Amino acid sequence: MNRLQEILQSVREETESLDFPGPRKWKQANPDGRCVGFFPVYCPVEILDAAGVLPVALFGGGEQIEVELADARVQSFICSISRSTLELGLTDRLDFMDGMLFGSLCDVARNLSGVWARNFPDTYCDYLHFPQNLASDQAMDFYVHDLKRLAGDMAQLSGKSWSDEDLALSLDRYESLRARLRKLQQIRCQEPWRLSLEEFYCLLRAAGRRKVEAYIPVLDEVISILEKRDCRPVDGIRVVLEGSFCEQPSLELIRSLDQAHCFVVESDLARGMCWFQEPIQRSDDPWLDLARAYFKHAEASVVRHRDPQERSQRLLQRVQDSGAEGVIFCTAKFCEPAFYDFVLHKRVLEQADVPYIAVEFEEKMSNFESIRTQAETFSESILFFGEEAMA
Amino acid sequence: MSQSYLHQGSGQKLQRKLLGDWYQNLQEAPQRGEKVAYLFISGNIGELLQACGFHLVYPEVNALQCGIKKVAGPNILSAEDLGYSGDVCGYVKNDIGLLTGGNQMPQGTVLPPPDLLVCNYAGCATYLRWFEALAEFYQAEMVVVDVPYLRGTDGPTAEEKAYVERQLRELVTVCERITGQEFDPEAYRQAVARSAQTEDLWVDILQSAKRKPSPIDAYFEAVFFMAPIYVMRGTEACLDYYRAVKEEIDERVQRGIGPLAREEVRILMEGPPAWPHFRRFWEMFKKWGAVSVASTYSKVGGVWDLGFRHDPDRPFESMAEYMLGCYTNRNWGMRSDMLKSYAEEYEADALVIHSVKSCRSFSVGQADLREQFIREYDIPTLFIESDLADPRYFAEAQMKNRIDAFFEALKHRRVTAQV
Amino acid sequence: MYAAGIDVGSTQTKCIVLDENRNICGRGLRMTGADVMKASRQVFEQACELAGIETHEVGYTIGTGYGRFRVATGDDQITEISCHAKGAVHLFPKTRTILDIGGQDTKAIRTNERGEVVDFCMNDKCAAGTGRFLAAAAEVMGMDVSEIGPASLQSTQKLKITNVCTVFVESEILNQLGRGKKREDILAGVHRSIAGRSASLLRRVGLDEELTFTGGVAKNPGMLDAVRTRTKLQVNASEDSQFMGALGAALFALERELAGANRQEVQS
Repeated sequence: MNRLQEILQSVREETESLDFPGPRKWKQANPDGRCVGFFPVYCPVEILDAAGVLPVALFGGGEQIEVELADARVQSFICSISRSTLELGLTDRLDFMDGMLFGSLCDVARNLSGVWARNFPDTYCDYLHFPQNLASDQAMDFYVHDLKRLAGDMAQLSGKSWSDEDLALSLDRYESLRARLRKLQQIRCQEPWRLSLEEFYCLLRAAGRRKVEAYIPVLDEVISILEKRDCRPVDGIRVVLEGSFCEQPSLELIRSLDQAHCFVVESDLARGMCWFQEPIQRSDDPWLDLARAYFKHAEASVVRHRDPQERSQRLLQRVQDSGAEGVIFCTAKFCEPAFYDFVLHKRVLEQADVPYIAVEFEEKMSNFESIRTQAETFSESILFFGEEAMA
Repeated sequence: MSQSYLHQGSGQKLQRKLLGDWYQNLQEAPQRGEKVAYLFISGNIGELLQACGFHLVYPEVNALQCGIKKVAGPNILSAEDLGYSGDVCGYVKNDIGLLTGGNQMPQGTVLPPPDLLVCNYAGCATYLRWFEALAEFYQAEMVVVDVPYLRGTDGPTAEEKAYVERQLRELVTVCERITGQEFDPEAYRQAVARSAQTEDLWVDILQSAKRKPSPIDAYFEAVFFMAPIYVMRGTEACLDYYRAVKEEIDERVQRGIGPLAREEVRILMEGPPAWPHFRRFWEMFKKWGAVSVASTYSKVGGVWDLGFRHDPDRPFESMAEYMLGCYTNRNWGMRSDMLKSYAEEYEADALVIHSVKSCRSFSVGQADLREQFIREYDIPTLFIESDLADPRYFAEAQMKNRIDAFFEALKHRRVTAQV
Repeated sequence: MYAAGIDVGSTQTKCIVLDENRNICGRGLRMTGADVMKASRQVFEQACELAGIETHEVGYTIGTGYGRFRVATGDDQITEISCHAKGAVHLFPKTRTILDIGGQDTKAIRTNERGEVVDFCMNDKCAAGTGRFLAAAAEVMGMDVSEIGPASLQSTQKLKITNVCTVFVESEILNQLGRGKKREDILAGVHRSIAGRSASLLRRVGLDEELTFTGGVAKNPGMLDAVRTRTKLQVNASEDSQFMGALGAALFALERELAGANRQEVQS
């Protein structure tokens, strides 16, 4: 096995396994270390990292998990990721974790914070309210105060005192990480055959499970090998995938898109892993830097209200910037935020003549035939339409 | 009702008249050149917006009216034609369907379009998505008053209060720009003073249910009695209304009259009602002599019975506290404590949880409530599911079966316990 | 003195006739069909005939099940939830938890030693994981419902069926067959996943010894095995499992009749 395969295999394992091999290994090596999990989408991981806590991104249980205990906790109309995340906890698969964070992304996630606190009374659990009125003068103060409150909790959990300098260094580390992730995204966008969507996606997912300073050199290695990777161009259409920012489609679904020759060149998959559109601007106050970046440079997302038109316009811009020919809305069953956005997005795409299809998935889904057929038809129709337009 | 009495039905009649006048006045607002703001019930800031010169539209109230008048189904289908999923909130879809069909309410009122959308975001991310959609469909300006979800059990922090209060003051500037009218602080202060008086009366009415038999059904009746304090709180008419309701309830108390001929079981209700089948839903409980003595849905517009009052001496600060303290802005532990205290104070025999698909901010966590009440508090608890807007989610035979089985068992155990 | 219970379910209608010593002396069973009144009358007549008595000798009749309000000869109605608890504790006195997988819903019931319902839970509106799903699975396989349980026990390979939605049963099974999976392995997967759903329902009321499995599906050995494996509990199932609701109703009827007779004696 060559080095690239070895790395890819380990990140795929991290994505598919329900045992959290990366974080567990880290904790074994660092017996005094602390792990804190976070429910998607965004989490200010820099604050955890600065306190010596390993942030662990949770993405549900995927297709592997059998849900039994959590079904008694949530109704049938609730999304799979809430159900399977709860199941992970109730079946002790998260027993290595020292805490859990939820954020204000939707009503389900918000209430889940309380359900979690009740079912796991002995571990730390907190809810982070991300400001939804970014225009208010007071919003920044409120947010910075809340970040500092979280920092206090993390310091208590890790038993480590730390300074603003530590936070500044952590900001640097994550900036480097995001630079690598953006580079991978660029490779994928320019030559999708050089890095499959599945490979790209697993590398992205593992970024939420590894100690940041250890993962950066791994990504550097991947990037340098990829540049020399032996591959030849494949025909297909270029698409933007939208709607999978929180609950994640299974690897089989992701593979089936490449197989259908729909090359996803831009997506919101695992959005929180690369939350900022551009590098964080630095001053002598790392708290303000992090907060300002959230207000000004976060990727447009339905979990962060700024102005009603922002997200659809940004989607259109992403389509144009990535040279995509269409959009695939790939939404988890019962994901209310994504469903609301779909209607607004679709109006804008129709006005701009951008073709799209919409598919729905669930974690526990075993039959992808229908999704593959839709993607293939979509790709054929665009290729066919393209030829017709040339003729 | 077992016997007739002097003030019988006066609360209901007056409520209908008040709301009728309200809608009529609304319809005519644009002709008079007056501005209209849309806002939500939970943590609503009607007093403030009215002091800025706005007429108010509450899309949730429209949605529940459409539900009761049985037009929510068709409205929801029109929204689904636009691309809305079967799995999103029925209130939102009803509103969008209403809008695309010409915005005419079932009783005839044509709703004026918004000059301003005020998302007084309290405990519901769906509110944000709802008004974002309206902003797009109406091309109207939208402002958000961001209300952080409560953590722990100590109530809002100083920072949370400061954040909300500041936003309210900022909102005044936006309102002045849109209405071209200066904000009238004295009018606002007086409205807030009337609100506090109204809240006293409303709390008295709700707490009358501590008596045995309870003179009021604190769910099936309270959801009608509560409308004015949600929609037009702070007005003279609203204050007068609660004086009238209070008289009706006082008379019931004097005569020992309750909402049913015989009170057999005292229940707590959690969750919104099934509006599209309201009557049949109530009948299923009436049949067993079940009277609601306290409910959480009658608190969605404000939790006053736990002590909060608007304060004319601190009109902005107390408004911020009010918004933060909304029922659906309370975390699981706070909600559970509230229900527990109701069970004790109102001497309830059982808890009924009506879990609705549309409203996740209500429903996520209810299974844990159920478990806690049965296992830890030994209070019999019934869990039923349907919806507050979408008539398709009401399975009558199944619902009836569960309700019957629950009360049957409760009754049977009582009988054997006496032997 | 005789009493009867008639259980009108979504698929089958059942009747039990008891004598005054609570012995079962007659049973009746037929498909419910469109005419509920007729079905309930016929099972009643059938049970009386087997008991060797005239219909008028039955002093009290209670209807249960979805069609309970349309039982032709019923004196009163009680839900099948109360009746299953009553019947199960009568046959297995140590029963504390009951699982009833019916045609359109699955119920988990917690009971006390007197057979009174302490708590219960039912599946939500959709028919996922109920008897209807098993019937649909049998149909796709071209088998009789009675055959699928025994067939599933022949399984040698563990296979996961994730979707127990009745609407998707066909595509789910055809998809597995298309992948070259064996019939018995697919069926075992179907039984396991229904047992899994039932177990989460049971957890809501508490998984306490002993568990009694009632309803027609309890006669399916594959399901019994899957429920045992999943819950790791002693699971009781009676030959009369599909009559459990009717039995409970008949027990209630007998109690009423005895109480009535006592009252009359006192009065006279």
